[in-house]
Amino acid sequence: MTTLRSVRGLIAMHLLLIRFSFRSSMQYRFNFWFGTIASAVIASVEFSLLAVILARFGAIQGWTLTESAYLYAVLVLAKALYRSLASDVHHLEKYLVSGDLDGLLLRPVPVLLALMTRNFSVRVGETLLGASMLAYSLAALARDGAIELWVALPLTLAAVVNGALLLFGIGLATAAMGFWMTRIEVLQNMTEDAAHTAVRYPLSIYPGWLKALLSTALPVAFVNYWPAMFILKGAVGGWTLALSAAASAAALAAGGWLWSRGLRSYQSTGS
Amino acid sequence: MIEAAHLHKSFKLRKPGPRKGLRSLIGGPTFVKEAVRDVSFTIASGEFTGFIGPNGAGKSTTIKMLSGILHPSSGSVRLGGIDPHRRRVETARTLGVLFGQRTQLWWDLPLRDSFEVLGAMYRMDPQRRRARLAELDGLLRLGEFLDTPVRKLSLGQRMRGDLAAALLHEPPILILDEPTIGLDVSAKRDIRSLLRGINEELGTTILLTTHDMDDIEQLCGRVLVLTDGTLSYDGPIGGLRSRIGMPASIEATYRTLEQAQAAWSALQRLDSASLAAVGLQERTLTVQCSLEQSRFMDVLRKLEAYGELEDARMREADFEDAVQRLYAN
Repeated sequence: MTTLRSVRGLIAMHLLLIRFSFRSSMQYRFNFWFGTIASAVIASVEFSLLAVILARFGAIQGWTLTESAYLYAVLVLAKALYRSLASDVHHLEKYLVSGDLDGLLLRPVPVLLALMTRNFSVRVGETLLGASMLAYSLAALARDGAIELWVALPLTLAAVVNGALLLFGIGLATAAMGFWMTRIEVLQNMTEDAAHTAVRYPLSIYPGWLKALLSTALPVAFVNYWPAMFILKGAVGGWTLALSAAASAAALAAGGWLWSRGLRSYQSTGS
Repeated sequence: MIEAAHLHKSFKLRKPGPRKGLRSLIGGPTFVKEAVRDVSFTIASGEFTGFIGPNGAGKSTTIKMLSGILHPSSGSVRLGGIDPHRRRVETARTLGVLFGQRTQLWWDLPLRDSFEVLGAMYRMDPQRRRARLAELDGLLRLGEFLDTPVRKLSLGQRMRGDLAAALLHEPPILILDEPTIGLDVSAKRDIRSLLRGINEELGTTILLTTHDMDDIEQLCGRVLVLTDGTLSYDGPIGGLRSRIGMPASIEATYRTLEQAQAAWSALQRLDSASLAAVGLQERTLTVQCSLEQSRFMDVLRKLEAYGELEDARMREADFEDAVQRLYAN
């Protein structure tokens, strides 16, 4: 009962902090709307490049244009969800370098929650782009009889949520390394930016070692590729979905563990 | 209220040395810097304590250990009986902290909104928050800028806003890290009288760090001096001056030049620890003496042995000088 109440309290706190964070960013309306539009444009340009290649060659390594659009859409949606709900976890470095984390440690609120709600932004651009790509791809696949829409759609939404948790776990683990390293930008380039870029494309185009890496140590392939192998292609069993959930649970556990260890060895800045 | 027992904090740092450029990338020897060594003190409820020391002495590190931001390498802290490192969230409720160097307010929002968020964070019910805010408004005069975005406040106003933010949740303990830094003379005076009011009217226990000795002299009943990571003094201000043995200087003017010169040469030959001639300018002789060891009247009597005095003036040691001397040792 008490845990239920404290969870409810945390959610209420999260919503409240997000509301104020949003109010802060609305002080700069132009910046807010322009940023929203720009991110959608950037994401669609990136996919257009992939679309051009696919239109030229028809398919890459057994993945058609519509199937690739699905992979892309699930990744974009999962990432948008992760970054909306945990925006400044990705920017922990800024707090460590400036010592601004001190202020968060003085509040009777979990530090992670305080950080997650800082500079909140709904990634409207990416979300719209991802949703429309997903709609296009699922509709086309259902028309061809490749999938049953009423089965594939809920599974896909579950994959998006699971993917967001997985990306959050990896992001949290990477950010927590900052407690020891302070500067983590390069590490984030590897575990977040490069990894996200890699799984925009079907995993089958990569050499074996990279496939293995993206499915084990840095399991981003479980965000979209492995769920799609089951949901779209039925090439693997339903256990892949369970494995995806296990991957995100493992990433979250690792992230949470590193975070609490890191917080304990936080060194702050001078004066 | 605040108890610190045998606090130690050490940081591991990379040893600066011949490894430059590329070679520094692959690590190298490290050394342990002891920022705080065996610091112990107890502050009672309602006390107003000053915490001073030169830059780098470990003041901020100690403050951060007290408020639960840093974990001590060893030793323990209790705030109202609670260990801030085990129970950070509970500690946050009993503690208000102000860092003069950086604001804790929501930069882009009106001051009023910051209080709303803080009230919710501390689970205050809105009615109690409003009552508390009215009380703080009476003390800190926030009304005139309550609806101004924080980024547009003057430094003095911002500091008042930050003070209110630190006090909103009715903490029995207030820790202030340089609350008067960067303020002009009148804003400093303003903040000081507000702090005195908070201590006296709300009964808040206050620990304050500063580099401005006027803050200490006007506010604090007790001073802690930290030099090089260790507590070198803990007691009342008056005691600080006498413990350092700061000599008072007396300027005595004789009727004639001969008398003054006679006194000058006699005192130089005397070579006494309690009375030393340090300067002669025409008929005015300057001597230094420790008022702990001899009374002012006794010193005058000794000086009059060399001739009648026309005038005598005493200058007591400056507090600022006293502290500088303490830091240097």
